[in-house]
Parts: sequence; C-alpha cells; structure tokens
Amino acid sequence: MKHLELTAELQESASIYAAGAMPEDERKRYVRHLEEDGCDVCRSEVLAFQSAIQSLALNLPEQDPSPTVKMRLMAQAELSASRRGLESARPRGTPWLAWLIATASTTALIAILVVNSNLRQSVNSLTSRVAELESQMLGQRTRLAALTSTQFRVIDLAGQGTTPGAAARVFWNVREKQWLVYVSDLPPVSSDRSYQLWFVPKDGAPVSALVFNTGSDGSMMAEIPVPANLGELKATAVTTEQAGGAPTPHLPFALLGSL
Amino acid sequence: MLNEREDRENIELIQRMASRDSKALETFYDRYNRLVFSLVLKIIRVPEDAEDIVVDVFWQVWQQSLRYDASRGKPLAWLFTIARTRAIDSLRSRSRQPISTPVNPESEERRLSVKDTLENPGILADTRDAVRKALNQLPEQQRIPLELAYFEGMTHTEIAEALNQPLGTMKDRIRTGMLHLKEQLKAYL
Repeated sequence: MKHLELTAELQESASIYAAGAMPEDERKRYVRHLEEDGCDVCRSEVLAFQSAIQSLALNLPEQDPSPTVKMRLMAQAELSASRRGLESARPRGTPWLAWLIATASTTALIAILVVNSNLRQSVNSLTSRVAELESQMLGQRTRLAALTSTQFRVIDLAGQGTTPGAAARVFWNVREKQWLVYVSDLPPVSSDRSYQLWFVPKDGAPVSALVFNTGSDGSMMAEIPVPANLGELKATAVTTEQAGGAPTPHLPFALLGSL
Repeated sequence: MLNEREDRENIELIQRMASRDSKALETFYDRYNRLVFSLVLKIIRVPEDAEDIVVDVFWQVWQQSLRYDASRGKPLAWLFTIARTRAIDSLRSRSRQPISTPVNPESEERRLSVKDTLENPGILADTRDAVRKALNQLPEQQRIPLELAYFEGMTHTEIAEALNQPLGTMKDRIRTGMLHLKEQLKAYL
C-alpha cells in the first residue's frame, strides 16, 4: 500500500531501516513495501536517511588495503572478460556442442601441425649428427687400416721400477717418419714433474721425442715426427724429469721398449 | 554527499562497468577503496578479512552494474550499502554476539574523533567539514545508537537492551539522530 503523506511513524521506520537497525522479519516486510508497493513517500525518506547515515562512514580515519586487493579484483575482472570473449566468439545460433567440436578439431589440427614441425626439426638434427659420426668412423677406419698395414712397425714398452703396470705402444710409420704413441696405466705426475719420451739411437745420446703428462686415467696419445738424421734406433724409453723436460734422461725408466 | 559532477562521473563509470570495461572498475576502485576498506575494517576489525570483503564488494559492484538504478540511490550510497551489508553479514556469520552489557556513553572508544582528516580526493573539503561538524553536534544519546546500528549491525531491540533503555525511546533517538544528520547535511545530499 502506498502512503500519501509522511508521518512521524513512517519517518521513524525509514530512519531505522536506513540505519540498519530493523530486525530481519520487519526489514523484509519493509523492503516489500518499498519495492512491490512502490511507495515513493517512504522510498524518498529512506534515500535521504541513507545518505545521512553514511556520514558515519565518511568520518572514519582512512586506511589503505594492501595492493593485493586490487590485483585480485582486477584479475577476477580480466578472467571474467576473457570468458565472455570466449562466449562471444561463438556465432549466434550455433549449438554449443557443434561449436565446441569444431573448435576442438581446429585446435587438434593446429597441435598436429606444430608437432609435425618439431619432428621435422628433430629429424634434421639427427641426420646431421649421423653424418658427423660417419665422418669420424671413416677417419678411424682409415687410421686402423694404416696401422695394420706392413709399412708400420710396432714397438711395445713395458713398465719399469715403480710403474710396473704401465704400458705403451708405438706405431712407427717408417715411410712417413711418424710415431703414433699410446700410453696406458701410467699414473700422472705432479705439476713440478714431467714424463719424457726418448729416441734411443744405436750410436749417440738419447734424443728427446716428447715431454708429456698422462691424464687422470693414466693414458696419453700423441703423434710425433721422427727426426731424419736420427740413425738406427735401438730402443725407446720414458723417464720422469723436472717439469718441462731435461736435455738428458735421468734414471730410473718409467717405460722401456727395445727395437 | 558529493557534488553533482562526481555523481555523474560515478554513474558513467558504473555504466561502463556494465559494458565490461575493466578500466572503469579500476577507476572506481581507486576512488573509493580506502573509504570502503575503512568502513569494512571498522565493522570487521580484522584487516585480512576486511580485505577479502573489499574484493567481494567491488566484485558485486562489477556484477550488478547492469542492474544499478540511479533513481534508487547515488553511486556512493549504493557502494556503501553493499559494503556495510557484506561486512555485517560476515560479522553475523561468525556468530558474534551483540554487546550485552550497558555501554558507557562517555567511553572514549565510542567517541568519534573530530581530529581525523579525510584525504579522499573524491570528497570535497567542505563536505568533509560539514560531515565532521554535523557529527560533532550530534548528541551522544543519538550518536551511539546510530553507531551501534551502523557499525555493529545491532537491531533497535538489541540496542535498547544494550543501553538499558526502552525500545520506544531508542527508536525515537535513532529517528531524531537521523533527522539531525539529514538536516545538517541536506545541502550535500
């Protein structure tokens, strides 16, 4: 029922409602009166009182919420907007299921194309790797063929003294005057020392062939030229010298091999 | 409580929110987040919970922006109503009991500070001064029931019991206090 004029009782109800002091049952009835009855007298009074009571809030000392409040709120809004974008992408009149299937199919096709592209890249990479390995294998076959040919002499060196377990093998390319030296199980020396390989001719003093150190696994491989004026060799040996090598060998031998 | 220009701007922001313009929500939030947080915090008293409610308040504004009707109240009044309602609902959901012991009208805790300053750029200085003046002039017998109702969510029955006053007296004090504020602030309504 609409009221025609404002009374003290109506004013009291409006003020209590606006202040938020109306019990729940009474409040529901009052809201129905405002909305369903469309009482402009009471509604107008309520609006005026609501503005007045909010002066209490306006007089509070202001405090800042943490920045995360805004972040959370805007994230929710953005998510809501993106969901609406997805919804609006659906053409009008298109059934949901048909649209979903079409979208899923398109997505799957794109995924297949992407995966296919990635696979092609992997194949290309593997092809290059295979070519590289084939080249390395060819080089090793060539070396093996050379080593087993008759133009090579093989000299074995045996461990001596404090390194009985050490060994070395020299592949001597007589025609090319090259030594290919393989050392194994010879413990590395400290930084102030070096191993030194010697050409030991039948006549004359030993000639330094190589100054080296072995790796942590006791191995070493090197290719060294054989001097042309060396004469006939009777042996080859490895000694332990000061770092950088010595002009003449010092006993004991670490490795010794006779020709 | 605000000038007409700001009211129009706020209505425009709400209309833009109805069109899902998140920048409008951001602007609205930047304008009033402190006021809303301060109100909710006054009611809830736990900052973390108050912050959750602030998110909910502005989210409700965003969700209901399409249904906002300016003829039913100004934007800030609408915002405060949402904020207070959510805060009071949260308070009640925790089963907090209203004050059952008599409240000392002279309690410093219940006295509104007249020295607090408002720094919200959305509210003109003269409005703030008018608010402060109106509240200062409000007798405590009227101000305290209004505060208990607005900030504590107490009904007139509960307030009457808390202040050990007849219900009729309490209703009258609420009406008189509201009339005082309405009269003092009518130029700013």
